[in-house]
Amino acid sequence: MSALLEVQGVSRTFGATRAVDNISFAVRPGELLGLIGPNGAGKSTLFNLIAGVMPPSGGKIVLDGTDVTGSKSYDMARAGVARTFQIPKPYRQLSVIENVMISAFLRQRSMADARELAGLTLSDLGLAPYRDRPASELTVGLLKRLEVARALAMQPKLVLFDEIMAGLTPTEVGGMTEIVAGLPARGITVIWVEHVLYAIMKTATRMVVINRGRVIAEGAPAEMARDPAVVKAYLGEEMQLA
Amino acid sequence: MNTIIQLVISGLLIGSIYALMSIGLTLIFGVLRVVNFAHGEFLMIAMYAAWAFSKLLGLNPYVAAIAVVPAMFLFGALVYRLVIGSALEKPHLVVVFATMGLSIFLQNIALMAMTADLRDVPPIFGRSISIGHVFIKGELLLGFIITLACTIALQWVIKYTFLGKAIRATVQDGEAAKLMGIAVPRIFLITFATGSALVGLAACVMLPLFSVFPTVGLNFVLIAFVIVVLGGMGSIEGALLGGFCVGVVQSVGSYYVAPAFGQLFFFVLFLLVMIFRPNGLFGQKGAATLGMNE
Amino acid sequence: MTAMPERASRFPRISAMPQRGRISWFEIVLLTSCAVWVGFGLAPALQDVAVLSFLFAGLGLAWNIAGGCAGLISFGHAAFFGIGAYTSTILFQSYGITPWLGIFAGAATAAVAGAVLALICARLKGPFFILSSLAFAEVVRIIALNWPSVTGGAEGLSIPPVPDLANMVLGSKPAYEALTLIYLILAYAVMRWLEASRFGFYLFAVRDNDDAAAAAGINPLMIRSSAMALSAALTGVGGTLFAQYFLYLDPTYVISPELSFQFALLPAVGGLGTAIGPILGSFLITPLSELLRANLGNAAAGLHLVIYSAGLIVVMLYFPAGIAGALEKLKSRKPQP
Repeated sequence: MSALLEVQGVSRTFGATRAVDNISFAVRPGELLGLIGPNGAGKSTLFNLIAGVMPPSGGKIVLDGTDVTGSKSYDMARAGVARTFQIPKPYRQLSVIENVMISAFLRQRSMADARELAGLTLSDLGLAPYRDRPASELTVGLLKRLEVARALAMQPKLVLFDEIMAGLTPTEVGGMTEIVAGLPARGITVIWVEHVLYAIMKTATRMVVINRGRVIAEGAPAEMARDPAVVKAYLGEEMQLA
Repeated sequence: MNTIIQLVISGLLIGSIYALMSIGLTLIFGVLRVVNFAHGEFLMIAMYAAWAFSKLLGLNPYVAAIAVVPAMFLFGALVYRLVIGSALEKPHLVVVFATMGLSIFLQNIALMAMTADLRDVPPIFGRSISIGHVFIKGELLLGFIITLACTIALQWVIKYTFLGKAIRATVQDGEAAKLMGIAVPRIFLITFATGSALVGLAACVMLPLFSVFPTVGLNFVLIAFVIVVLGGMGSIEGALLGGFCVGVVQSVGSYYVAPAFGQLFFFVLFLLVMIFRPNGLFGQKGAATLGMNE
Repeated sequence: MTAMPERASRFPRISAMPQRGRISWFEIVLLTSCAVWVGFGLAPALQDVAVLSFLFAGLGLAWNIAGGCAGLISFGHAAFFGIGAYTSTILFQSYGITPWLGIFAGAATAAVAGAVLALICARLKGPFFILSSLAFAEVVRIIALNWPSVTGGAEGLSIPPVPDLANMVLGSKPAYEALTLIYLILAYAVMRWLEASRFGFYLFAVRDNDDAAAAAGINPLMIRSSAMALSAALTGVGGTLFAQYFLYLDPTYVISPELSFQFALLPAVGGLGTAIGPILGSFLITPLSELLRANLGNAAAGLHLVIYSAGLIVVMLYFPAGIAGALEKLKSRKPQP
């Protein structure tokens, strides 16, 4: 089975800092790939490279066989890659459903179709009661769900989640985990950057662990928890001495 | 050859004076992130004040600065309290429209009080000073010196005093500054008032060179904007260098082409800078997109 | 009050008060009244004011497309106004082309200028954009002032005041009222279309959050250029109508910062980004400013502007959402059925 997304030797430098250093991995269709690593590991930069926010300094990104290296974010979106923002970016002056309709317009041309798709997506995410409220009125937890709704309304092939669990209550985390877990069954591949480890370890089919801009481990979640390199990355050198 | 040297030197000198009038604007933008569209009218009011002190007390405008500068400081504080302060937390265009409205308000108050007649003061220096083949008006030279002194003094305050540090902290991260106990609204007030005071000083320097009338602000505010953008919003050295650029472009442009085209050149210069270096020559990175969408 | 919901359910798509995405009875009544006013030639003394109110309402709506909907606050729209006015007038005077056709040429030229401005300002937001639009308009004005062979320079251009329907020189004030009212309704219709279309939604998205819009597959630069082009074209149309009404183009007024300010002011006071806002803004401010100018302009030069601008400051500080916003607030305070 060929990969949906291939990241080949991708790097990104900012001045003297190599935030992403020669990273390669592939994501197969239907996978739920978890991307984890300690703070400052380069996850966000990698995320933004895949999303098209900035071009890599080196390497290639291939989506479904097509070289998309250096594509802008709207081109990536049109190619079927949706993303959420870690700090939600809603359209404040529009209502919740209108926020989702903007995304729905990517694949649905008419107002009626876009509104319908948006409505269904809101229901899927439990946001239907807030349909007509201005987005500026929502709490952070709801805004994060709105981010997910907007991504899904784009009917993407690949969805990139950026720390969607941060700031959610345990119940909310449970609800969101269920939604994410159900995506591969709907034909949507997921790359998920996350800090709330128990959620991602439960749901991901495969993990990639990043530290200092490099991949330090790859494999099933259970293996990652035992991998010494991963433990060292998270808990630091000091623990070795103890 | 001599002509060019003369033009460039005159351009640099007048440019420094333009810079002096723009420093207040760039300071206010750098700290408060607002553009004061009534900036030109502040200059106009200050010029009238300088003229009044001159006429009534027989002082020359440079001496009148002793009264005009503090008066403008208070005026700026008043405007901040009444208009700017409450507009800050509202949507961006409230400040834009409020300061635009203020601009029209001040222009017409001046019109009612002073009529449209041009007012000026007699020349202070008798004849031009000559250095080699170049003739320099004394008023221009004095203005240049005052501008340099002022810029140096400002830089010193910003680098070495607590107030300066507080201002820099507020510019870098308003929230953090508040958490550190800096009264950010007070910093805003002081900055706005200081910017106005600087305009007052500029007015005293400009009155010997330009007549004042109610709409004189319009001529100068666009120049000030061009300088501020060229030099980078918030950069004092940038304003000085921007002023030099504008002064020289206008001086050379007006001479070789019609005076109106001198104006055209620097608007085109402005637009070119906007296309290629929207952060100006010395501005903070990302200044061009500050304050929007967040 | 309980009668209202029943009536609304018989006509589900028309609301009582102005709302985004829906035509309301309020507007239907308002616009119909205007049509009646014009049709019956009411209030001859106020016909000048009516023409200007309709014209500026249309111009405010045009500005609003860029400013209120796409978030491109421009203080240089007088450039597009002037380009439209000059294009049609020059085509008429030098080539004998009737302004009924010239008006389209004017709109097209203005649209190109609008797209150019948007492209120049591709990376600019907020005050930088505003200043660039100001500079742009000044460049256009200086060119108009200094190109006498084409634009008549400082003397401007004039059109012979001979009634000539084929060349858009209408004989009577009510005829101009009708023409400008049609312009108003056209601009209003464009605005309502935007609110109900994918393109319009994209404008709102780019206004509210550029990054999110790009992530949703929208090219912000394309959208901004299109919005500006559309806004400029409509503004240019207004320019031609102005030229045909006043029969004289003076570059210092026609491409002035004061006029640009006016175009932005009306939607701001009436309600940014709404269809009814610019109309309310113009219907309130245009007669008011004419009234003030007529009564106080002579008493003390500038007094009317002092009052006008002080009022503006107060309105901006206390009603930033404009009249339409205030109406919204009133509406949401009504008890829910």
